[in-house]
Formats: sequence, C-alpha cells, structure tokens
Amino acid sequence: MYEFDIITPNSIDAAKSEFDAAEDGQFLAGGQTLIPVLKQRLAMPSDLIDLEHVHGLSGISASGDTISIKAMTRHTEVAADHEVQAAIPALSKLANGIGDMHVRNRGTIGGSIANNDPAADYPAAVLALHATIVTDRREILADHFFTGMFETALEEGELITEIHFPIPEAASYMKFANPATRYALVGVMVAKSHNNVRVAITGAGPCVFRDAEMEQALMGNFSPESIKDGMIPADDLNTDIHASREYRAHLISVMVRRAVAEAVG
Amino acid sequence: MPLITVHVNGVETTKEVEPRTLLSTFIREELKLTGTHVGCDTSQCGACVVSIDGKTIKSCASFAWQFDGAKIQTIEGLANGTELHPMQEAFRTHHGLQCGFCTPGMVMTAVALVENNPDISENGIREGLEGNICRCTGYQNIIDAVKTGAKAMRG
Amino acid sequence: MDTTNITNGIGKSQERREDFRFLTGAGSYIDDMNLDGQAYATVLRSPEAHADVSSIDITEALALDGVLAIITGEDWKVAGYNPIPTKSAVRKAIDGSDLKEPPHHPLAIDRVRYVGQPVALVVAESIDVCKDAMELIDVDYDSLPSVSHQSEAIKDGAPQIWDIAPNNICLDFELGDQKAQKKAFSEADHIVTLNLVNNRVTAVPIEPRGALASYDAGTGKYTLWNASQNIHAGRDTIADAVLGIGKENLHHIAPDVGGGFGVKNGVYPEPILILHATKLLERPVKWFNDRSESFLSDTHGRDQVSTVQLALDKDGTFRGLRTETVGNLGAFCATVGPFTPTGGSSRTQGGPYRFDAIYYTAIAPFTNTCPLDPYRGAGRPEGSYQMDRIIDYAAAQLGMDPIELRRKNLIPTEDLPMKSPMGLDIDCGNFPEVFEQTIAMSDRDGYDARVQKSAAAGKKRGFGISMYLECTGGGPKEEAKVSFREDGKIDLSVGSSSTGMGHETAFAQILAGHLGLEIDDVVFRQADTEATAIGGGHGGSRGLEVGGSAVLQTSREIVEAGKKIAAHKFDVDADKVEFSEGHFHVPGSNHTMTMREAIDAQNDPDMLPDDMEPGALNISSVFERGIISIPNGGHAVEVEVDPETGTIKVDGYWVMDDFGTIINPMLADGQVMGGVAQGLGQALMENIVYDDGGQLVTGSLMDYAMPRADDMPRMVIGYYEDAPTAKNLLGVKGAGEAGCVGAPPAIVNAVCDALKDFGVHHIDMPLTPERVWRAIEDAKAS
Repeated sequence: MYEFDIITPNSIDAAKSEFDAAEDGQFLAGGQTLIPVLKQRLAMPSDLIDLEHVHGLSGISASGDTISIKAMTRHTEVAADHEVQAAIPALSKLANGIGDMHVRNRGTIGGSIANNDPAADYPAAVLALHATIVTDRREILADHFFTGMFETALEEGELITEIHFPIPEAASYMKFANPATRYALVGVMVAKSHNNVRVAITGAGPCVFRDAEMEQALMGNFSPESIKDGMIPADDLNTDIHASREYRAHLISVMVRRAVAEAVG
Repeated sequence: MPLITVHVNGVETTKEVEPRTLLSTFIREELKLTGTHVGCDTSQCGACVVSIDGKTIKSCASFAWQFDGAKIQTIEGLANGTELHPMQEAFRTHHGLQCGFCTPGMVMTAVALVENNPDISENGIREGLEGNICRCTGYQNIIDAVKTGAKAMRG
Repeated sequence: MDTTNITNGIGKSQERREDFRFLTGAGSYIDDMNLDGQAYATVLRSPEAHADVSSIDITEALALDGVLAIITGEDWKVAGYNPIPTKSAVRKAIDGSDLKEPPHHPLAIDRVRYVGQPVALVVAESIDVCKDAMELIDVDYDSLPSVSHQSEAIKDGAPQIWDIAPNNICLDFELGDQKAQKKAFSEADHIVTLNLVNNRVTAVPIEPRGALASYDAGTGKYTLWNASQNIHAGRDTIADAVLGIGKENLHHIAPDVGGGFGVKNGVYPEPILILHATKLLERPVKWFNDRSESFLSDTHGRDQVSTVQLALDKDGTFRGLRTETVGNLGAFCATVGPFTPTGGSSRTQGGPYRFDAIYYTAIAPFTNTCPLDPYRGAGRPEGSYQMDRIIDYAAAQLGMDPIELRRKNLIPTEDLPMKSPMGLDIDCGNFPEVFEQTIAMSDRDGYDARVQKSAAAGKKRGFGISMYLECTGGGPKEEAKVSFREDGKIDLSVGSSSTGMGHETAFAQILAGHLGLEIDDVVFRQADTEATAIGGGHGGSRGLEVGGSAVLQTSREIVEAGKKIAAHKFDVDADKVEFSEGHFHVPGSNHTMTMREAIDAQNDPDMLPDDMEPGALNISSVFERGIISIPNGGHAVEVEVDPETGTIKVDGYWVMDDFGTIINPMLADGQVMGGVAQGLGQALMENIVYDDGGQLVTGSLMDYAMPRADDMPRMVIGYYEDAPTAKNLLGVKGAGEAGCVGAPPAIVNAVCDALKDFGVHHIDMPLTPERVWRAIEDAKAS
C-alpha cells in the first residue's frame, strides 16, 4: 500500500485537531474495511488517525428505555453483552452475524455506520430502531443519517462517539447472506414500538432504506400475512451476479415476513 | 518509524516498523515466524489468523503498530517443545489437515472457539469456522478434531 | 496379482508424519523461503481482453529507486526463446490435421489476448517498489473486439483470436462409433435430449503459486524452487523446450506445496520469467502471486457446453449415447489444454452403464479468457455429470424410476473384463453391488419421515444418486529410490508429488511395512530432479497407483537382494531363503537374519557374495503402469430446499467407493471428502464469470463463493474392496479425484427430485438460490 503517517490521539479533541491538521486524514476504527481498501491501493490518505486509544469511546450502557453503544465498541462485545441480549436480542443477533469471528473481534459499530456500506448490517438496525447518532458536535437522527451509497450526513472530520438505541417492544433481524462475502444480500430489521412499526432494509439497494407501505401494513396488522409480494418495486434495487433486483425484491418480502414471525413469536 | 514492543509466544521483542507494515508481514518477515500464512488479499481465507490477548484476529487486516504492548500468540507458540497442544494433537489424530496451509489459522481459531465455549456443539464449530477456508479436507475431520480437542482441553 | 508381503502396514490408518511440522508452523512453503540477496518480482498483467500493445514505456519505472530490471515482450522477442509447448495427448483433428497451436510465450509479444496475461516482469528490492514501479509503466493498448464465451467464439463473424485458427477452433474430436450409435438410436423407443453446462471453476488452493530462482554464474546452473506439482516434466519443458539451457543445468524442486488440485501441474510463465531474471541480475529472484492474481492467472477448469442424448427402450434398457461438447481452451493451449474436452472427457462416457454404442464429439475453441487446464478430474467430472444427469432427466420425462433405470443398466460383473464403447479397458469391478451398497448406506427406510418433517417446515426434500466411473491418468512411470544410511535412517526418494495427499506417510508405510522396518526411520524426499532421475509428478490420481507401486517394486527388489546376503551368511542357495515379517529364514532350519542385519551387512565385502557390490541394497527402481485403473463408486445425497428463497441444504451424504486395495483408510477418506467439497462447491456456488468485454467479474473471494464448514454435510464413506485390480502392484485404483466426479450429478439430481412437484427437471450449475427460485417460478408460470 501507499505510505502514510499514523497519529494516535488520546482524546476526541485531539483526534479532531489532528484530523484538521492532516493533509488528507482518515480515521481508523476497527480497520476491517479500511485496511483491505488500503491494501488494494484504492485510497491514499496522508495520515491515519487511530481511534483505538481515545478515552471513553468504547462501552455499552443501558438506562431505562435506551441502550447506548459507544462508537469503538467491537461487534463481539455487542453480541456478548447481557444487557443488549436482554433488551434488544435482535441487535445482539445482528452483531453476531457480521463477517466472522475474527472480523467481529476488531470491527466497530462506529466504523460500520460511518462507512455506510450498502451491504453492511448495522445500518438496518440503526434505521429500524430509530437510533440517535451522537457525534463530537451534534446529534443526528437515524432517518437523517444515511444519505447515499457510502455516504452519510457526517461532515468532514465529524466523529461518531455513541449511538443511542431506543429499546423496542419487539424486533427481529433477518439476513440473507452473500455466499462469498457473507455480507447482506438482503438484511431486514423490523422493529415495533407502541403502535409504530419500522422496517429497514439493507443490502438490497444503494443505501439502507425504509419501506412505508410495509410499515403501514404492519401497523394495521403486525403479522407476516400483511406483507404481500410486489410491495417493493425491483427497479431501484442492486443487481449483480449474486442476486438480480427481481430476486432481491422477492427476498425482501420473504425476509420481512420471517422477521415479523420471529418478532411476534 | 514507530517503535513497537510486542510479546510474541512469550518472547518480548522491540522493533521499528513502518506504519504500513501489516501484522502478518511483521510476523513472517521481521520475526521470521513463517507458520502464519497469507492465502488471500481480501481478508477472507483465515490462513493468517493469530491470537491477540486471547482473541483471534486476521493478521493480514491489521497493522503491526496497532499491537504495541500486546501479547501475540502464533501457531509456533502453541506447542510446548515437542509436546503438542491437545488441539494440535487432535488435528493429527483426526487427519484434520492435508496440505497444511490453512492449518495454522484453523488451529488458532479452534483453540479460541473452545476457550470461549468449552461445550461447543458441532453446529457451533461449523459456524465458528466460517472465517477459515480449507480446500483440502471438506472440513469434517477438522470438526471432529475440534470436538476431540475440546474434550481434552476441558480436562 | 501377487500381494504377498504387502499386508504389513497396508490398511492401517497410519497417522501422518508430515503433520508435526504442518501443525507447528514449521512447514516450508515457497513464500517461507528466502535467499540472501534475493530480489522480488511482480508481473504486470493486461487489463484488456484483446488488444494490440502499441508501446510500453518503462523509462519512469526503471528510474525508480530500487528497481533492478523490467522485462517486456520486446525483450523476450529479442532473447529468442521458444514458446511453451502444449503436451496434449490428443493432437489431431477429426480430418487428421494437426491441432492449431499458437505460440505461447511467457510475456505478451505485440498483442494481449486475455485479462491477466503477463505483459512485463518487474524486479526490484521489495514488493512495494515493484508495485510503485508497475504504476509508472505506461502501456498503450489498442483495444480489439473480444469474445468470452465459447458458443460465441465459434460463430462466423466472431472476433478472431489467432490467425491460424479459423472460427477460433483449435481442434475438433470424435470417439466412438457413429454408425453404431445412429443405428442404436433408430431402433430405440425413446430419445431424450438434455443441454448441459459444466460451469467454469478455479481450483483455489489456499496457497497461491510462487517460485524462487537462483543462478550460479560459476557453474552455469540454475535452481528453481517452485510450488509446482510436476517437477521433472516441468524441468524438461522449461530447460530444454523453452529456455534452451539444458535440463542438466536446471535443478527443479518443489518445497511443501499448499494444495494443487491439478492447477499447479502446468508450466506457467512466471517461473520461466524469473529464471531469465536471475541470470540477468545474478541474484536470486522470488515471485509469489496474490489471490487476485491467482484468479486471473491460475488455469481455470471445466467450462463445457454440451448436448447429451440418451436412446433407450420402453423397458428402460439403454441403447445408445450421443454427446456433443463445446469446450473452452482460453486464449492459449495450456500444458494439457486441448486434451481435457477431447480425450479427457470422452474416455469415461457411458460411465458404468451398458450401451450398445456411444458417439462423442467435441470442439475445443479459443476465447479471450485465461487458459484452461486440468482441475481435479479433468474431463471425467464432465462425463459423469452428463451421464447421471441425463438418466434422471430421462426418468422424469418418461415416468420411470431413476434408481430402477440404473439397476437395469449397470454393467453386470459377469461382463467384465470388457472394453467400453469408448475403448476403456474395464478390468474389474462390481457396479451392481456397489450401487446396492450405496443405497443401503443411505437409510432409505427413514426417508419418508424426513420428507414429512421437511414439508412441515415448508421445505422440499429430495434424494439423488450417481454412479461414477473414473479412470486414472498422469505419467505412467515412477522412480522410487532407497538408500540406507549409516545412522540407521532410510532415504526414500520418489519422483511423484504430494501436495497434501500424504505420500510421505503412505509411501513410507509401504516401504517400512514390506521390509519390516520402522516407519519413523524413513526420510522422505519427493519432487526434486536431483533426488530421482525421473518423476511423473502429480496428476490423474497416480500417486499410489504408480508411485506406491514403484515403492513396492523397489521394496521387493531389496528383499530379493537381501535374500542373497542372507543366503551367503547361511551358506545355502538364495532360492532356499524366504522373507516374512522382517526376517530372512530358511524353512526347516533355524537360520535367521533380520532385514536390519542384512542392511548392516551390505557395506561389508566379507558379508557379500562374490557377485554383489557394497551398497547392493541401495536400490532404485522404475515402475511403469501398463493401463490405467478404473475407480468407481456411488454417491447418494439428500437435500432440503427452501422454495421461498431457493436455498439448498445438503443434509445427507453417503459414498461407497471401489478404490481396490485401501492402503490407508484415513487418507482415502480425506481425499474423498475434499473431493466432495469441491464437487459441492461447483454444484452450488462456485462460478468463474467473465463479462462480454472479457473482464473477470469473479476476481476475488468477495465474488467467488467457496464452501465453508457450515456448507458441508456430514459424509459417510464406505469402501468396496472385493475387486482389487491386477493393473499395478498394489491392487489400488486411484482415489484422489473421485469425490468431485460423483458429487455434482448426485447433488443436482437430489435438487431436481426435491423440486419435481413444481415441474422443475433441470437447473444448470451452480444451483444458486436465485437460479433455484427462478426455476420454480418459471415452472409455475408455464
């Protein structure tokens, strides 16, 4: 890979100022996406700003109706956390299905969300659970966070510090994995809170999205039968050698039904 | 160039590394521990797996400098002289390896799986090995080896 | 076949001796090897499928600090080396003309013909410098129209890849009796036709290819360590045929090799390039592919489009078989290349089934893709797939039972030995019995209950079976050389090549077992042109058949020589001496001498008869196989299909193999299971895809799906050992490839069985979830 310098700040303020000072800086979280990218010579940052030693950027806490996960928390930690397992088992299941065990030991929730890979799992959870993304300078609601393929509402140098997940009444994550990468070809999270239902779909399109028709139908009757074929048009979905857009559209219906069935029973 | 101190298989070493030096390159070329193998370039095959403070990672998807101060265990650190670790012994008895290239990563993963879950089931083993590709064995003997290794490790 | 004295050690699941070093990370693979002063080489590869190279500007790259040399096609042309020849055993087209063999140079000269083709070799002080330099090389490509798919390539008007090959055809081929086949077809009650694709795959040994070359200016000799499976023949081709350096001047050795599966057999460009570079620079040069390069440049496998026709009577009797195949060679004839879709795919047509007549034709075309060469099975998986798929397809079309259809047509044992309609010498076997045992293994009694259980969960269960007929191949000759050291160790050198198959153990087992010595005393060497004068390397499941037989032959010669030493000591005629359980003895007397004692005596002239020289027990012997053996067996599979998603779970797997004598059951199991995994991979998920512009779409493990532990079923394997072959000294039938020959048709048969209620009777491999789902949807719609 190309050469670069490394900076290892101990605080968020230091991380921010190092980023601003760098010619072309990039934050390094778990590295499970960034390092393979650098190996392919697809990026050429001048400096990597390592977030590993920034104080207070890792950990999980529960308070009342919210689970809060700090940005540098590893997927393994989220999967194994008792509070997450008790309050939002779907989130625990999702984290446990990311990549493989070795990736999970290094990958972080903050890194995943900031990157917004169209096939990543966490964006579906953040969107479906109506999470709030806390950064070094503001709070961003999930609905405003994911803006396009590999694009988010984050400003240049803005650092995610924590994600607040409201605890739902019921939720389920169903993933149909790409057999080669084990990323989501279609990953669906359904979450029900009070009478509100949110359905978030990752993997199928250029960016994670919600579907209003499915949500409406489920708010009327929270059961698999509410999901009819053809609710999602195939036109805007991804198509590649692993799955055509028509097949993804079909899979979404199937996965949502299964997620609802799991959430219910 | 950053100076890092690592504890590898119980031996402390201090070396200068370039920022871009991967942990796998460091282990193989600086430390001359060539048991850790590189089988792919998209961090999927698992041949490069080592253990850091008891957790497995892909050494090809990490930089050496990230592990300054860490305890690293590679395949060379598993046996006690000529006395194999029970998991290594289990792989031998069950013919859980053929060409041997995926084996170091496979064995390090197996040990970690069992340490995290001593009563791991067959399904748990199959899922736990999803980050390690073997082309020779068809996995069955590896699964059986992990079961036997687990039993021996439980003592 | 004389099996005296081979019982010791045979049939034992001896643990492998090589495992200690592999398990402790002490293996020595090519990338683990380093020589003082070595330089590193990388290959600049073509990004174009078909283009003229109008210029290559290396000025900036050469000026980079640390760059030692850059070799281009122009340099290669000036050097005047010969191209890499193909060793295809089939060399004539149907009309008797020679196959069209375009010049295959290690670097593109003037034109590139596939994405990934080497364009330049860069040698530098480090890999990073090589990569920096490659970015500075400016190549001017003038794109030409390209063609990726074989069916398109042979059409009039397709882009022409080689002037010497009109319609891009290298050769065409026929085998069998067309007249007899037509007659059988005209007389049969039914003719069933099926179009089949045998998908393009790649071997993906977990260790990519690499090599390390050094040159001794003083002696003019080269050394090449090469992750290769074909050391002696490779040495001859590289040293004599291509570089003209003389084979006595090239020491070719394989270190530990991390898997091969056939793909490390061929002669590749890169080792040749680094031999040139090492002489130029008088420094060792090391090259090691990364995985993306493996996908681009390791020879690919399979890739055939076929039409198969089965003629049968209304009572199910098979009458005739007609297969037409369009293969794919890629842009060049690879080392075996044209043989695979022609000779290789025709030999076992018809499988273990009785036919009046079979006629096979094939076309082997060039395309703008990576060259193709043998991959585990090399033509027999294709043949087996055609046979067992059309049987099930015919059964479905005609309302017959696929199991009964097989029963009715398997060649009965009383017909053996026989020559098949393809000229294959089937000497022995018991196909009907192996078939029944395969079925018996698979718990048919419990099947209906499992079907109900699957149905209750909304899934469809299916059962499929295949009966494969294999034939071995590879080099027919092998040398085994034994010498006894003063320290008590035994040097055993063999010219074959093991890349995980356990020869180090199996051959030592044979030697130690036969001589009554300790297996741990055997020091094994293989795949080294200085260890044995000849060597057949690897391929065609020849390891035990030829290599093992060579070891046994050498062992027997040692015993015969030992008898003379014993006779001298006992003062009797040598023909009175017998050998068993490690002892020479004379029946009816108390004369006795151990093999060890004979070995100790061999260097003492006083202990030797007059006509024996010291060292007489250090023997090298060459075994030559007469004709190939015929492994065969049955695969039975249960699958569970989720019709909503098309996902397939392989839920039961049973194999009954006839490999003749089993030397080491544990090793045999390992070969079968690994082969089944590759067959499952091809059937369900693996696929090399080029787009219409010749770009490799599946260029990494991100897009090429490989079976993982959670994809594999539990496999139950049995052996039928009542028909050992007399064709080699051990009675073995080569086991290495059978797994991937029997698996794909059995799996696809099971899936089609599961989906028969939907009216789905065929899906082309790989049976990805989407393809399965679409097949169901399409069948519902019609």
